[in-house]
Amino acid sequence: MTELGERIAVLRDEVLDVVAGGSEDAPAVAIFDAIVRTLSAGLDTALGLDLTLHDAVARRLAWGDSEQLILDDADRVFARLAKAAQRALRDPDEEMLVLEAAADVVCSTGRILGLAAVGRASRDRAATLREELAQRRLREALEEQAGNLRRLKEEIASNDFQ
Amino acid sequence: MTLAIAGYGDSHVGAVRDTNEDALIVDGKWGLYAVLDGMGGASAGDVASTKARDVIHEYVRARRGALAPRQLLEAAINAASAAVHGEAQRRRDRRGMGTTVVACLIDGRRATIAHVGDSRAYLLRDGRLHRLTNDHTIVAELVARGAIKPEEADRHAYKNVLSRNLGAKATAAVDVNELELAPGDRLMLCSDGLYGYASSEALHQLIASTDAGADVVRDLIEAALRGGGGDNVTAILIDAGAQAVPRATVVLQTSGAGAWWARRERLLAAARAYGVHRSPLCAMLPPDDAIALVAGNFADAVYHDLEKGTSVNVWTFVENLAAGWLGRGGAWPPLRDLLDGLARSADAVIRELRAEDAALAGLIEGALARAMVNAETAAGGVLALRLRAVEAELVRRDAERSRAQAEVTSKFIDQPTVPFMRAVEAPPEPPAPDVAQLLEGARRRALGRPAATQDRALFARTVEHIHRIATSSSEAEAAVIARELFDVRSLDEAGVTPLYDALDAARAAHVDAVRAVPGAMAGKVAALRRLAAAYQRLSSAITGLVVEAVAPSAEALRTAAAATAELRAQVAKNEQRVADLERKFATIIDDDLPAGMRFDLGLDKPRRAEPPPLPRRRPSKETQR
Repeated sequence: MTELGERIAVLRDEVLDVVAGGSEDAPAVAIFDAIVRTLSAGLDTALGLDLTLHDAVARRLAWGDSEQLILDDADRVFARLAKAAQRALRDPDEEMLVLEAAADVVCSTGRILGLAAVGRASRDRAATLREELAQRRLREALEEQAGNLRRLKEEIASNDFQ
Repeated sequence: MTLAIAGYGDSHVGAVRDTNEDALIVDGKWGLYAVLDGMGGASAGDVASTKARDVIHEYVRARRGALAPRQLLEAAINAASAAVHGEAQRRRDRRGMGTTVVACLIDGRRATIAHVGDSRAYLLRDGRLHRLTNDHTIVAELVARGAIKPEEADRHAYKNVLSRNLGAKATAAVDVNELELAPGDRLMLCSDGLYGYASSEALHQLIASTDAGADVVRDLIEAALRGGGGDNVTAILIDAGAQAVPRATVVLQTSGAGAWWARRERLLAAARAYGVHRSPLCAMLPPDDAIALVAGNFADAVYHDLEKGTSVNVWTFVENLAAGWLGRGGAWPPLRDLLDGLARSADAVIRELRAEDAALAGLIEGALARAMVNAETAAGGVLALRLRAVEAELVRRDAERSRAQAEVTSKFIDQPTVPFMRAVEAPPEPPAPDVAQLLEGARRRALGRPAATQDRALFARTVEHIHRIATSSSEAEAAVIARELFDVRSLDEAGVTPLYDALDAARAAHVDAVRAVPGAMAGKVAALRRLAAAYQRLSSAITGLVVEAVAPSAEALRTAAAATAELRAQVAKNEQRVADLERKFATIIDDDLPAGMRFDLGLDKPRRAEPPPLPRRRPSKETQR
């Protein structure tokens, strides 16, 4: 980890507000860790290629957190980190690096969530089509059943083969 | 030559808490003194501190003489850490419990002081108070690393978060100091409930007073309680031999207090002349009562302080005055003016005294100056309390608002994660002229750069829009712009990706442009701060829009799935009806069945052990299916 990454990592509890939140594993920890990773890699990562962040966001979605909730967490991490960095870092160059990394990660999170949402929408649309096909078959079956029921009732009522 | 060591200690639950999680050892026989401050909640804090106290006490008693004091204290504290850690591991409800410790072992003239956590040791020598321990807190480490300034440490949100304690691990990193005691030295061990609620000036004044140790301990705890008493308070005072009282103090106690008391009426007259009774703080009182109450109490407080060699009475007087006035919503300037009026009145008395005894007047003037500095600090403490109360109220309201927003009824899990405190954000203000100029320069440069995206027009629009958000003072700007950029596009990867690509390309170009544009570094940082926030807002708004746009797909799926389930239930129901009718039909044509069972299935129970089979079913489409 670079020296700047280490110094930002020290601000972890403050930025994630774990004291007020009362948890060691705050929900936005993945976003903060991604910022530290970006700083440690010297802002040299290819955009959107932080698979760890991708996995963490996917895991939260799988656990039932909404996209909006995760987005809110990312926004808060950005706001708190920007304030913490402004106060904690003396070197303007370092503060610029942190802002750059934070904006990078927040935008990446937005991209991951946006693409996850459209992916989910595609799956939903395909699933809706499948449901509609199933409904068509079920309606056909219902029509057949209605015919059979009618016929059976008639046959029983007529009692013509007893 | 050995010193006569005398130790006094006391502990108080404080004004806010229900349980006292502090513990102390005052054992003159073995020369062991310690303060422990437990933590861990759910009644585990007091378990940790008392367990550690017992282990340390027992360990020292058992091995005193077998080990050198330094090794003995270190080993005793480590044994306590192992014991607390073991207990925390055994009991689930005690996980995470721990305690701080500051311990002093006195052997002849040698004092060995060991500590872990933020309980402190102080030494009073020659009238000066020295802190012997460094707090093991995150904030202290941040200060040591230069990440924050020392003056920011008191305001820091994590000022009480420990970096070391007893119980977190089986062993503890113990800091040990040794010092040679001199006659008249006074050692003080305390928990953070003391120094956190009584100012360092008040501590200094009280420890330096010539009162007996037990009285000083009582006064110290009272000072912390007056300061709010938000935590358990524990203090131990250790006197090494008789305290050498400075000659000046003796003079003040013997002659100064009397000389001051003799001029009490002069002080009241001076206070009237300086208009103390016209202060807004005395608005409800007749002038004579105002002078008697304010200036009279001030004169009494100064007299008692001169008599005892402290400033604590003036401190208390001003603190009560400030708490009453500021508590009613009073402003700071009238209080400051009143304190100035009292100080000027005291000056008038000293001027008069100087004509008679210049030396004594000089001593009283010094003592008064010290008392007035402490008085201002006391008023400052009350102001700080008021600020803390406002801050706590803001945090409470914000937490309530966040909780209200987090209530989403359709969620799979009602509260899947711990609510994350919303940062308190001020509405954006327009940029300063130099920053606006830098932002304009960055915009031009960014537009002039080659775009790292295929859609050059979208890139240019994004740069322009970001510039608008960064220079706007409206929070809604990003949402409006996101809708404009989103335009009409397919809700799939191919439709959405260009938006994010343009955003990333614009961000990279913008950041480079800010670095390249000529200007002061501070301005550049301010410009980048605004730009980074603008990108965050726009990215967030675009993603919010995407999420909003795909919501109907999920709704459509839910509706379709519900309709399918309904149809499926209907088919199953009909299937059952068909099967019933078929069975009925089969019994009609089954010759083997008793006649009574025909047309009467379900009403006339069959007497056979097994239900009748369904023979000779008429082959039909529905039964084959």
